[in-house]
Amino acid sequence: MKVESSKEWHWFAGGIAVSALSVATHFIFPAIAGRNYPFGITEGYGYIAGRFGRLFPGLADNPAIRRFTEKPDAVTELFILVGVVIGGYAASRLSGTRAPENIPAVWEKYHGKNPIKRYLLVLVGSVLLGYGAALASGCTTGNILQGWAHLSPGSIVAGASFFAAGIVVARILYPRVRGGNDGD
Amino acid sequence: MTAINIMFGLAVGFIFGYVLTRTGITKYPRVMGMLLLKDFKILKFMLTAVTASMILFHLFGDLGLLKLVPKNLDWGKLVGGLVFGTGMGILGYCPGTMAARIGQGKRESIFAAFGMLLGIFIYALMIKPVKAGLLSTEISGDISVHLGVNHWLTIIPAAVVFAAIITFFDKKFDDDRHIF
Repeated sequence: MKVESSKEWHWFAGGIAVSALSVATHFIFPAIAGRNYPFGITEGYGYIAGRFGRLFPGLADNPAIRRFTEKPDAVTELFILVGVVIGGYAASRLSGTRAPENIPAVWEKYHGKNPIKRYLLVLVGSVLLGYGAALASGCTTGNILQGWAHLSPGSIVAGASFFAAGIVVARILYPRVRGGNDGD
Repeated sequence: MTAINIMFGLAVGFIFGYVLTRTGITKYPRVMGMLLLKDFKILKFMLTAVTASMILFHLFGDLGLLKLVPKNLDWGKLVGGLVFGTGMGILGYCPGTMAARIGQGKRESIFAAFGMLLGIFIYALMIKPVKAGLLSTEISGDISVHLGVNHWLTIIPAAVVFAAIITFFDKKFDDDRHIF
């Protein structure tokens, strides 16, 4: 199974575009959000989870929920997340590569077409992803694209941990993938 | 004020989601290919962005135009990082690419977004013991402060190493090769 890459942008163009966006947000954020903070994705999810938590009176004083919903840039972070969904939609439409699917085709090839097995793993994986992003105070965007560029010791540890654990899990899920320049 | 925040947030998110999708960073086989150490397009993309941002952030920082905000080091970064990485390995995407995939019509990612919210909610419920156990010993400041050197003595070697890694993987591995 080949990745259809003929219509993809070059990695250098993509990397420079994301860097330009990161630098631009650093100039615009302090002016409009009242707080200098690099853009991230986890905080957008955090705002929604925090709003849900506020429905329970017992959680009104929960420090995590208060931080997610009350920080000055919380609304901006939420709309960044909404913007990413719209950007994904527009890119798939405008590039003519839109290919809606239920579960990933590569998963089906190696693990069968039964969606229940995949969805159960997605539930486990996504809960871990949310919990881990909250605990590490940032995901790939905040801790690597932003944090590594800031030379944050915390982000270097977090980013290295993302890959260390991800590499182990990928080997467990795909022990027999042998493709490569050495043929397959 | 809020209208500006909304417009700005939407614009930043739109560009980010657009670039991630067009560059192919949101693809399941690309992420799994990277974690299997066979497809390095995402690594090259990330290190390009990190290298350019690292130089520009510090350059503008030195000129007093921009304030750097390094994240603190605490045990949550290690433990949370390993938990996150396990989730990313299972899913084949991360929170940002998950959102872009929802827009692309990858239906499973909608379900994953609810799981992600649940994970953050569970974190909030456990915040007291977590804070006491993992987030108490914080180390702040960027890495140059800890090394006791001028930050350009960290940035320039880091940029050279990143450029060398990018060049190595770009020469050795073709982005279009057959993996799965």
